[in-house]
Amino acid sequence: MAIWLDINPRSGVPLYVQIVGQIRHAIEVGALQAGDQLPTVRQLATELTIAPNTIVKAYNELQTMQLVESRAGVGTVVIASSDEMTRARQVEAIRGRLGAVVRDASGLGVEADVLDAFYADEVERYYGEQGE
Amino acid sequence: MVTTQEKAIAHPVELGDSAIEIKDLVVNYGSKRAVDRLTLSVPKGSVYGFLGPNGAGKTTTIKTLLGFRRPDAGSATVLGYDIVANSVELRARTGYVSEVNSLYDSLTVGQMNDFCRSTARQWNQAAVDRYIKMFNLPEQVRVRQLSKGMGRQLAFSLAMGSDPDLLILDEPTSGLDPIARHELLNRLVGEIASEGKTVFFSSHILSEVEAVADWIGIIKAGHLVVSDELDHLKQNQKVLKLVYTEPPTAQELDVLKAMPGVGRIEQEGRSVRAMVDGDAEALARSIQASGLNLRDIDVVGLNLEDLFLEYMKEDESGY
Repeated sequence: MAIWLDINPRSGVPLYVQIVGQIRHAIEVGALQAGDQLPTVRQLATELTIAPNTIVKAYNELQTMQLVESRAGVGTVVIASSDEMTRARQVEAIRGRLGAVVRDASGLGVEADVLDAFYADEVERYYGEQGE
Repeated sequence: MVTTQEKAIAHPVELGDSAIEIKDLVVNYGSKRAVDRLTLSVPKGSVYGFLGPNGAGKTTTIKTLLGFRRPDAGSATVLGYDIVANSVELRARTGYVSEVNSLYDSLTVGQMNDFCRSTARQWNQAAVDRYIKMFNLPEQVRVRQLSKGMGRQLAFSLAMGSDPDLLILDEPTSGLDPIARHELLNRLVGEIASEGKTVFFSSHILSEVEAVADWIGIIKAGHLVVSDELDHLKQNQKVLKLVYTEPPTAQELDVLKAMPGVGRIEQEGRSVRAMVDGDAEALARSIQASGLNLRDIDVVGLNLEDLFLEYMKEDESGY
């Protein structure tokens, strides 16, 4: 099950960050799909020979990221699909573009309320049209 | 019959989330101070790697924790038991495997097992049998004929007989070949720590500690240098590598030193290496934005060996 996890303890990257990154990647590429069960903490600790608490920490992080869910009597289950994650990344990218626009505006000396008005206009124009 | 008084002693003091709590511990060896005001706490359920150069006081600390040596000052509790007043109780709840184990050479593996069972207050033979079988230890063979690795495996198996909540291991893998070492560490994390038991082990093999430990403590000359979650250390202790366009002036270095989180600095020509405590990436961004005359800036993560060496250097300059 955990064969695709390739953990390097001798790296400067924290172990739990490596685990989170690799499981996240596996979900993104579809190697893990919604409903798939992750190994138990004990199984993974034994397989990788790393402290169980490190795995608990990684699973908690994945849960906070809403990629997995802990179900009583079942274990840790993948809930995100690669489609959702792609979408989440796209939304994140839009957020980033907004940030860049605000920075540029501030660099040009545009006042915050003016920028707010611009933004409201754009939102109104697009979402308003859609509603009609 | 158990008297009320005995019951009161047997009941461990509530201590929250620590399996071991050491406070200002001092242990002298003749005129030499082996443990020097050591303060340390080991969280329950952790796999805690206790590190330090040879002669740093690791073994002395462990022996004192188990009540084999009396502290000269300070105090400590193990599983809530005071190490001086309740050392018998404490040892009944703690499994201990030392570098040199007191196994009786002329006994067979089976006889050794019987002996331990007869002296123990409580005994889980099923657990011992499971480990003896797992390690393929021959019951009829005398202890003296066992290899070093098998001796260690036997000591480990017997330590599990008292069903301990805490396992204290002094250099558990020294002298073991890589396969036996991996197998032992694997049992430690897969079976012992997975059951919520605490594992406290000393070692100077940093690579094995880095793999299995989630907490580490480093001591040097009997005092604590650092105790923290290993992943937390790796996340927060990084090195910033700066390459200036011209060798930086003392003034420029002072500017760098005054930045938040910047610790020890090393300079060699145009290159500067700075230890950073905290968000090194954010610091790198703000340095870049501040318009210093830089050719290059880079954040480098540290593995345990790098961290260990950094702490040793920092300690030298600090004391």
